[in-house]
Amino acid sequence: MARREHTRNLVVLALVALALTLVPHGVSVYLRSFLLFAMMYVVLALSWNIISGFTGYTSFGHVAFYGVGAYACAILVADYEWHWLASLGAGAVVAAVMAVVIGYPVLRLKGPYFAIAMLGAAEGTRVIATVWDSLTHGGLGISLPSAETSMPTYYAMLALMAVTIVVAYAVGHSRFGIRLNAIREDEGAAEALGIDATRYKLAAFTLSAIFPAVAGGIQAYKVLYIDPPSVFFVQITIAMALMSMLGGKGTVVGPIAGAVLLYTAQELTWVNFPTAHLIAYGLFIIIVARFMPRGLVGFAINRGWIRKGMVH
Amino acid sequence: MGQRPDDIALDVRNLRKAFGGVRAVDGCNFAVPRGKISGLIGPNGSGKTTTFNLLTGIVQPDAGQVLYRGEDIAGLKPFQVFHKGITRTFQITRVFREMTVFENMLSVTSLSVPDGAARARAEELLALVNLTHLRGEYGGRLSYGQQKLLEFARALMTDPDLILLDEPAAGVNRTLLQHLLDHIHRLQERGKTILIVEHDMNVIMSHCERIFVMDYGVKIAEGPPAAIQRDERVIDAYFGRRRQH
Repeated sequence: MARREHTRNLVVLALVALALTLVPHGVSVYLRSFLLFAMMYVVLALSWNIISGFTGYTSFGHVAFYGVGAYACAILVADYEWHWLASLGAGAVVAAVMAVVIGYPVLRLKGPYFAIAMLGAAEGTRVIATVWDSLTHGGLGISLPSAETSMPTYYAMLALMAVTIVVAYAVGHSRFGIRLNAIREDEGAAEALGIDATRYKLAAFTLSAIFPAVAGGIQAYKVLYIDPPSVFFVQITIAMALMSMLGGKGTVVGPIAGAVLLYTAQELTWVNFPTAHLIAYGLFIIIVARFMPRGLVGFAINRGWIRKGMVH
Repeated sequence: MGQRPDDIALDVRNLRKAFGGVRAVDGCNFAVPRGKISGLIGPNGSGKTTTFNLLTGIVQPDAGQVLYRGEDIAGLKPFQVFHKGITRTFQITRVFREMTVFENMLSVTSLSVPDGAARARAEELLALVNLTHLRGEYGGRLSYGQQKLLEFARALMTDPDLILLDEPAAGVNRTLLQHLLDHIHRLQERGKTILIVEHDMNVIMSHCERIFVMDYGVKIAEGPPAAIQRDERVIDAYFGRRRQH
């Protein structure tokens, strides 16, 4: 039963991936770019969801990992002449180390304290990127050598999205994921039932840091210029959170659907109501929060369209 | 009391814990007999729950030892105590509310156990407590009594040797309670050691072989139910003749 569902989901995923592989050749540069950013937000929302949805530690600072990944790529490509793909790996490693260093103390905090500490960690990272002139060129930002990056970054983002979905799916439908859920539900009880919460939280946090770093690197190589305000933009964190909540945090389909819908809505409102797009965007969020407090997936579960729980 | 070390499942020695100026557990000594059902009773505030929390690592002791299989487990973290083979339930149930009943069960088994074995064990225990029909329902949607059963079943997932039950009878109807007590006796028949904290004297007197009575953070009496019921110190502690000092 469960195996059949997994197979079905995998087939759907493979078909979508195939379609996305063929699409970019026939479409405008704008549409290709639109798809790339939609895929990027899927990656960001799903990653945020691993620590904040599955594990219940709401992070308001996840943009820190995205920004660090972007900087790793820009510095290594522009100043050290690395191949951009290799720089993505370096960014992932740096973000993982950073997640352990930040996570170890900060994951002792709970609820709003954790959220605010993460906000501080992200701001701190931005300030470091601004003042550490010799490494980051400070407020001037970094320009990457010009190149045709639209196609390669598209495929890189597609590959990253596929990996992120598979990992998030595997975590969500495993006993590892269930144990993260237990920490979210009642950390004290989880520990009394044999779960080493510190270790699990740190693993989830590190996992949730890696993919945004790679996404940040790809994005840097796509736009060929970064500076601290653009890659440590707090609104990127907010987008991750909103997209997950809209779709249904703590699920796998939720953040994917939320990212696609919200990013599309954002683009449409921006295109059609250039002056009022934030109002339209805000209204959309209010309506969803009012009528679907647990997101689209929660709504579907309440209607009986989807089964409760991740492991059956 | 003439017990050989082999007969003792848990040996609590001179356990102490103060919260500020309140000495909640103040040099407590008792030895839980192996393979039996024992009860821990005492008036409100006598230190029973703190003792439970000390035994399971939820609260760290100021001093004293908790010997389990010849090893001092005092001061270990809750998950470490659990991995020694000691498990507990809570006075107020703590099921994982937004996880299904089945997920609640699976969450307990460590990842080194194969998935198939964990699932089989979960199904078996759910059948035992008659919750199979609710396996896909959220824990938070169960009635209080069903949550008690779920918590009890969940605590057995890893086949622990020592089971600590914190007020299993509280808030449970008679039928369900009888059901729960039957399970407890079955566990004991299979060689498990059970320690119950309970306010319901009927439960304690008719199901425990040995009873420890606490007051003011120390053990004031111990023995079989009949002796405890006649014990002057216990009567004093419960009815307060001694409380003038």
